[in-house]
Amino acid sequence: MNILKGYKKDDEESGGNPFLRLEKSAVLQETRTFNDNVINSRKCATVLTKVLCILNQGVTMNSTEATEVFFATTKLFQSKDISLRRLVYLAIKEMSTIADDVIIVTSSLTKDMTGKEEEYRASAIRALCTILDASMMQSIERYMKQAIVDRNPAVSSAALVSSLHLCRKGSGDIVKRWVNEVQEALSSDNVMVQYHAMGLLYHIRKHDRLAVSKMVTKLTRSSMRSAHGYCLLIRIACQVMEEEERSSNSVLYDFLETCLRHKSEMVVYEAARAMVNLNNVTARELQPAVSVLQMFLTSAKPTVRFAAVKTLNQISMIHPEAVTTCNVDLENLISDTNRSIATLAITTLLKTGSEASVERLMKQISSFMSEISDEFKTIVVEAIRSVCVKFPRKHHILMTFLSSMLREEGGFEYKRAIVCTIITIIEENPDAKESGLSHLCEFIEDCEHVELATRILHLLGREGPRSPKPHRFIRYIYNRVLLEAPPVRAAAVTSLAKFGASCDSLLDSVLVLLDRCLMDGDDEVRDRALLYFEILKQKQKALTSRYILSDLTVSVVGLERALMQYCSQPQETSFDLKTVPIETIPVGPAKSIGERTPGASVQKPGALAASKQDVYAKQLAAIPEFADLGPLFKSSDRPVELTESETEYVVRCVKHTFNKHLVLQFDVTNTLNDQLLEEVRVEVEESEGWSIVTSVPIPSLPYGKPTSTYTLLEMEDATQVSGTFLNTLKFNVRDCDPTTGEPESVQGFPDEYVLENLEVVVADHVQRVIRPNFAASWDEIGDENQVEETFALSTMRDIPDAVNQIITFMGMQPCERSDKVDPDKPSHSLLLAGVYRGGHDVLVKARLARSAAQGVNMKITVRSPDMNACEIIAGAVG
Amino acid sequence: MLGFINRIIEWFKSLFWKEEMELTLVGLQNSGKTTFVNVIASGQFNEDMIPTVGFNMRKVTRGNVTIKLWDIGGQPRFRSMWERYCRGVTSIVYMVDAADHEKLDASKNELHSLLEKPQLAGIPVLVLGNKVDLPNALRERDLIERMSLNDIKDREICCYSISCKERENIDITLQWLIQTAKNRRS
Repeated sequence: MNILKGYKKDDEESGGNPFLRLEKSAVLQETRTFNDNVINSRKCATVLTKVLCILNQGVTMNSTEATEVFFATTKLFQSKDISLRRLVYLAIKEMSTIADDVIIVTSSLTKDMTGKEEEYRASAIRALCTILDASMMQSIERYMKQAIVDRNPAVSSAALVSSLHLCRKGSGDIVKRWVNEVQEALSSDNVMVQYHAMGLLYHIRKHDRLAVSKMVTKLTRSSMRSAHGYCLLIRIACQVMEEEERSSNSVLYDFLETCLRHKSEMVVYEAARAMVNLNNVTARELQPAVSVLQMFLTSAKPTVRFAAVKTLNQISMIHPEAVTTCNVDLENLISDTNRSIATLAITTLLKTGSEASVERLMKQISSFMSEISDEFKTIVVEAIRSVCVKFPRKHHILMTFLSSMLREEGGFEYKRAIVCTIITIIEENPDAKESGLSHLCEFIEDCEHVELATRILHLLGREGPRSPKPHRFIRYIYNRVLLEAPPVRAAAVTSLAKFGASCDSLLDSVLVLLDRCLMDGDDEVRDRALLYFEILKQKQKALTSRYILSDLTVSVVGLERALMQYCSQPQETSFDLKTVPIETIPVGPAKSIGERTPGASVQKPGALAASKQDVYAKQLAAIPEFADLGPLFKSSDRPVELTESETEYVVRCVKHTFNKHLVLQFDVTNTLNDQLLEEVRVEVEESEGWSIVTSVPIPSLPYGKPTSTYTLLEMEDATQVSGTFLNTLKFNVRDCDPTTGEPESVQGFPDEYVLENLEVVVADHVQRVIRPNFAASWDEIGDENQVEETFALSTMRDIPDAVNQIITFMGMQPCERSDKVDPDKPSHSLLLAGVYRGGHDVLVKARLARSAAQGVNMKITVRSPDMNACEIIAGAVG
Repeated sequence: MLGFINRIIEWFKSLFWKEEMELTLVGLQNSGKTTFVNVIASGQFNEDMIPTVGFNMRKVTRGNVTIKLWDIGGQPRFRSMWERYCRGVTSIVYMVDAADHEKLDASKNELHSLLEKPQLAGIPVLVLGNKVDLPNALRERDLIERMSLNDIKDREICCYSISCKERENIDITLQWLIQTAKNRRS
């Protein structure tokens, strides 16, 4: 009581908020007033508001407390005060999940929901649906059906929305029975009822693609009154378009276009955004959407401007040319008082504008950089990254800007984005390397993020030794050894050792520095320092190259599994690293600048996610026939399609290479829902040098469930590595019921289906590896086993084309970015590294020159400890 | 403004002639609790009733007496909650189906375990044997015997046989309740 009075006094005197700083125990004490014989509605309303207030501020009640308060609250049903009753409904909803025995109010709520007091009904429905359990559904079903079609729009809306919640709580089956009522509500005059009915109807039908598509087609033809309904319909339509083939659905595309002319801004924006997000949308298709967004740019409402500029920004990442028409309007937004709009406008312009405007825009943006949030700063950084790719000559001004951003305050995500961008610039643009590295050095002098510091140290170790003045990095790196946490110190020691290994002039100084690290307090740092110190002291190139400059090439997940296996079954022989599967390097564009999701490019795979190959290795190991093949060497990157994707049976093949065997994994999908296939196998015809050992058929293949059958091939001849195989899919067919999948016929009949040929090539026997220091590895192998050959490649157009083809043929990893060709130069040298089946390192140097007549001339040198591997790789091209 | 005046009038009324009493109606399911409420509130008898899921709250005015009635569901899942609604009431009304002999023992046990609750000490109890219009229905004397009402000595207790259908003994019941309320207050 005293507290209450205190608050009241406070309230009157200072106009302060009586609900600030509430104590749970005090509020719980106050709820006792609900049990009084005579209810004071005003006082109870205040107390109940306090209860709701503390619950929403995140105060947790245990179930005893909540139950106590809940039952006290139910006593308030005796009051006829409308506002108090509505608070009671709210409290019931809030406490429905934390209090016990909440079903006690079922009867009272049912009475209110069907009663004469209109103001109770909607809220009572909402409260009732939060306390119901599945067993009670039946008893209120009749009332819900009536409420959905009630004349009062508030009641109808409440019933529809509550039904949606009930669906989510797992009573979907019962709600499905109300579909007729929902249909009726859909034709209501009230816009909200219409919207809610549509939402519920979609939810009921969403697993039935046909029904959804039917519903969308029907609704797009009828004209709805609800703008919200239109927005929802646009979203559903987009989903339908995504699931179906684009071309077959021009009706829905036309619908989107008509929505662009709707009178509500909300609908127009939703339609524009939907078009932008369509798969494979072309610049021309975007044009109508861009023009309405352009109109929005000059709107008086900041929200509309923001929405438009944000969407245009999104378009500019994929189709910058489509947005150029808006440049003038975007220029006007640069000085918008809303900083978020201004930031987005500038970053959009950076992507669409000309080289000349970069300087001006950067100046503009730096004027308010300190006023925007980290999230928007990250957007700016992303924009700078794409500008750097587009205009490499502007790297100087952009780099200066980034380094000043690095010095400012900011969160980890933001700093990481900047560091990633600088690293990308360094990698893309050799001219920017020097200044970029020195900016990063400055940054690690005062960097609180361990992850970033270790990453930069790693980069310094790789790039630093090859810069003109490597010695200037040493000070920065050694400072880390003196000042930082153990993980950073360890990274710094490794980085130092790399300088020592690569630069002879620095070797003595590095040895002195490493000597000092031998007394470090951390085990890891000390171990590393000792190892490097001893290796460097030997001054043997092969040794340093092997243990300092080369990275671990094996897959970490694979290594862990191999070691576990080794430990669990003790063997006479020592553990051989060559038996561990090699880490697969993701093929395809590693740099994802300008891709659809700019955020994703920032995130490097930090955690050790099991790669696709590791997943395959596990699956194959589970099959008894393949148990004694040894470790999986390589799985082909993408499955080869052996059928058209539209046929009755879809077959794709993945090739798994083992030491002396090849496993062909055929993923078969049955696309006929009235057939059940049995004893499914792929018959492979033997070719020269290969023999079929065994095959694993699929016992039963029902409709729509891709399953794998395997064929095991043995390679008899070590020199015969490529071949072409003819394949036939053989199986027994049984007819079955399309809906249940139950087979109708007892006996099936055999059938077969001819598949396309499968090629096995050299690349299937080679795993990609990165050699950070190619020259050192080259010297390490030596010229004992070396093959040199010269080819005239007349079919290749130019050097870049030849580079791509050679990489594909050999299946090796380009090193030192030698896959980037300067198109102006007449010759190019390509460095490739890989591991041949059986764990033999292979390195390739290829000199390419434009031929006078036609095509490209190539001279390749292949080195490997294994002569056979040398010859096979050298023979891969041509 | 009107609300304010109304409140003052209400207050005056309560000062001079208004009596307030609060009753909680419990008992096994299908013994006729909700029917009883309907009969004393509006005089209507309806044979088809749905089970009460939870509770119903009714206010009944009889002359100058206002009766707050908490009618609690009698299904087993609600029995543990009876006590919460019996705390602090003027009297507890315990309904028994006098014609359903099989359930009498269960009814007796529920009553006795309810009255053992320390929170409810001293609250008067009125046991009503409903449905005496049916054949084989027990009258007061037999009911007192079967329900072992004589064992309850720590509070005022009374037993009537009623019939909601025939309106038998309803008025006597009400009179007893009002009288007990008056006695408790003085």
